[in-house]
Amino acid sequence: MAEQVIKPDLNFINDVIASGGESLKKCFQCATCSVVCNVTPEDKPFPRKEMLQAQWGLKDKLLANPDIWLCHQCSDCTAYCPRGAKPGEVLGAIRKMSLQEFSVPGFMAKMVNQPKFLLVLLAVPALLYILIIASQGFFGDVSIPTEDGKIVYGKFLFSLYYVDTVFTAIALFAVSSLFMGVTKYWMAMSAAAPNTNKVSLVKALYDTILEILGHNRFRKCEVTKGRATAHMLVFYSFIGLFITTILAFAKVIPEYFEHFGTHLGIDQSLLDGLTVIYKIIGNISAAAMILGILLVMTNRFKNQEKAGLGGYYDWLFILLVAGVGVSGLLAQFLRMANTVVAYPTYVVHLCLVFFLFAYAPFSKMAHMAYRATAMIFAKQSGRE
Amino acid sequence: MSDGKSVLVIGGGMSGLTAAIEIAEAGNNAIIVEKTPYLGGRVAQLNKYFPKLCPPNCGLEINFKRIKNSADVTFYTLAEVEKISGQEGNYDVAVKVKPRFVNDKCVGCNACAEACPVEMPNEFNFGLNKTKAAYIIHNQAFPFKYAIDEKHCKGASCAKCVAACKYDAIKLDMKPETINLNVSAIVMATGWELYDVTKLDILGGGKIKNVITNMQMERLASPNGPTTGKILRPSDGKEVKNIAFVQCAGSRDENHLPYCSYICCMASLKQVTYIREQYPDSKARVFYIDIRTPGIRYEQFYWKIKEDPNVTLTKGKVAKITEDSATGDVIVVAEDILAGKKIEARFDMVVLAAGMVPSTKGAKIPADVSYTPDGFVLPSSLKRGTYAVGTLKSPVDVSRSVQDATGVAIKSIQSARRSK
Repeated sequence: MAEQVIKPDLNFINDVIASGGESLKKCFQCATCSVVCNVTPEDKPFPRKEMLQAQWGLKDKLLANPDIWLCHQCSDCTAYCPRGAKPGEVLGAIRKMSLQEFSVPGFMAKMVNQPKFLLVLLAVPALLYILIIASQGFFGDVSIPTEDGKIVYGKFLFSLYYVDTVFTAIALFAVSSLFMGVTKYWMAMSAAAPNTNKVSLVKALYDTILEILGHNRFRKCEVTKGRATAHMLVFYSFIGLFITTILAFAKVIPEYFEHFGTHLGIDQSLLDGLTVIYKIIGNISAAAMILGILLVMTNRFKNQEKAGLGGYYDWLFILLVAGVGVSGLLAQFLRMANTVVAYPTYVVHLCLVFFLFAYAPFSKMAHMAYRATAMIFAKQSGRE
Repeated sequence: MSDGKSVLVIGGGMSGLTAAIEIAEAGNNAIIVEKTPYLGGRVAQLNKYFPKLCPPNCGLEINFKRIKNSADVTFYTLAEVEKISGQEGNYDVAVKVKPRFVNDKCVGCNACAEACPVEMPNEFNFGLNKTKAAYIIHNQAFPFKYAIDEKHCKGASCAKCVAACKYDAIKLDMKPETINLNVSAIVMATGWELYDVTKLDILGGGKIKNVITNMQMERLASPNGPTTGKILRPSDGKEVKNIAFVQCAGSRDENHLPYCSYICCMASLKQVTYIREQYPDSKARVFYIDIRTPGIRYEQFYWKIKEDPNVTLTKGKVAKITEDSATGDVIVVAEDILAGKKIEARFDMVVLAAGMVPSTKGAKIPADVSYTPDGFVLPSSLKRGTYAVGTLKSPVDVSRSVQDATGVAIKSIQSARRSK
């Protein structure tokens, strides 16, 4: 066998322990975890080898590997671990650290994952909207315009400028940051395991999408059964709300043209029909999101003993999704109730959505990009 | 003739026998109180000792003979200590003796068992076969007297055994009695139970027919066992030519027994020789976390087994066992750590190397002692005059139990002398 030089990264070991993997050192390498895991490949199975790599501080081996993301934290391993080493939670901690390693700019990941920066991060959208509202004079003498006495958010904050432009900018930032992050991850994986293109990229991508849509891997979890359903609800609610956003934007395009003096002459009944459709999709999705995230929360409490409750990284994301869902629905109902509380609720909703998307590349939200990337890479290299 | 008061020994297994005999041969009285109808305990159930591979009955026979020859050892079978009060030199002990329904006239002719219509699981053989409610555990049992199981016997309404007995040895009207003893010291030697493998859900313990325990394997290989020593698998009696041993079945596992049971590695390696000797073309595979064979004699035993080309030792704990219901074969899943692969292998039979649970985990001795959360006697809690031996303090093998019992014999004699 070729000589191998092992360079343990002691700081990395301490970081894993500090990031929620405090049980790491209890592992005595019995491999119960790899056997009870239903989602691991048969060859070089996880998470036993990750536990060893983490104990030895082999950061590069761990992070430049699709396996940490193929793990869905079913916690079957944690439940059956004879030492209480909690492989599921250790891998969760390593995934969190891999975000810090690959995401761009890196300091953001450190901020998003530390409670002490929470207020600073929240202050960004809050100050932005306070400034916007102040600039409209709503804090002064100017009263918020309505439509025949009824609250219309578009009259409060002109959506083209204060919603669409802001969020398009955020989305561009998030998508490009995520793209850079996963590209770095992909390159690291390719460097660690070159020439493994057993399946075409297109086929791997297609299979990955199918797998994600069906939650096939997720459904193999045993100890934390029910997580797949909860996750699926939240997952599809995001897709539903994405469609809602696109349709809602399409609907307001004629208004924007109108604003600049161009009349597109689109039939109003068509726009009204569109409105009905996206409101239905939007409300169903919001309900699914709230139900799904409630299930996520109850599952976490229910499985606390066997799977762990999770840390700040997990709960920031969970509460954010819950907050977005609840504030969104509330903003709608309060607007319909025509009460003045609707305005601050709407602003809170916008701030939470801002938080969710602007910081997505660094929060647990990024898991979707990294896990999908890992799945594509694994499929392409024939690792199933 | 003995000096001083008697020493009470609770438990008539290898540790208790040793302690009592050593005490008696040093010139003191010893009284053994044994829960079952026979002396010998777990050792009587073993086929061979490791590492010498000699039959334990040989050593037991010698001990039984020493008891027969000694006027200073008294023993009660079917007896349990109910109450202990007092202190070193002056313990009052109440012992409840359950009826055996068979008296000393029994010659061991087996007529009662033949006549008995009631079958019950053979506990001595860990349920591998059945026995009659009138029974003897094996052909070298001591005392060599039949016993009638109180729970299963239908009583005077049946009495077929009474009619069959030519020696007037069966008395179905025997009643339990309480005996009061005054002793100078107490030796607790109640031994161990096998961990309940039905708790090992992913290993199919108690569910899959051809997944047996290491103690069942001892009985299967034993000439006085259910198959007269032929190693045949329970489901269909097929010869076992491809066997797996699953180490740490329950032991070293926080969800079951957090401690190492100490003997299981040597026991499995010993059992490998049972199979390899009986079927020369057989294969054996041992799945382990670490092979623990402490001491040079045990290490040498391990090295010798390892040299056998038909024996495979695989590093990786088994965490999944299923049954092929069509063939009765057992499918074992483990990660072969050294190869870095998850493997699935098929076997005729699988032995779970189940761990040791101190008997005091379940049945506490009514003495003034404390126990660890795992049920072991906390040695520091033992007051002067009360001693615990062998597996009551930690999992140990037979030879260490015997050494411990010999050491405790001198301590308890000192207790007796101090109080003279």
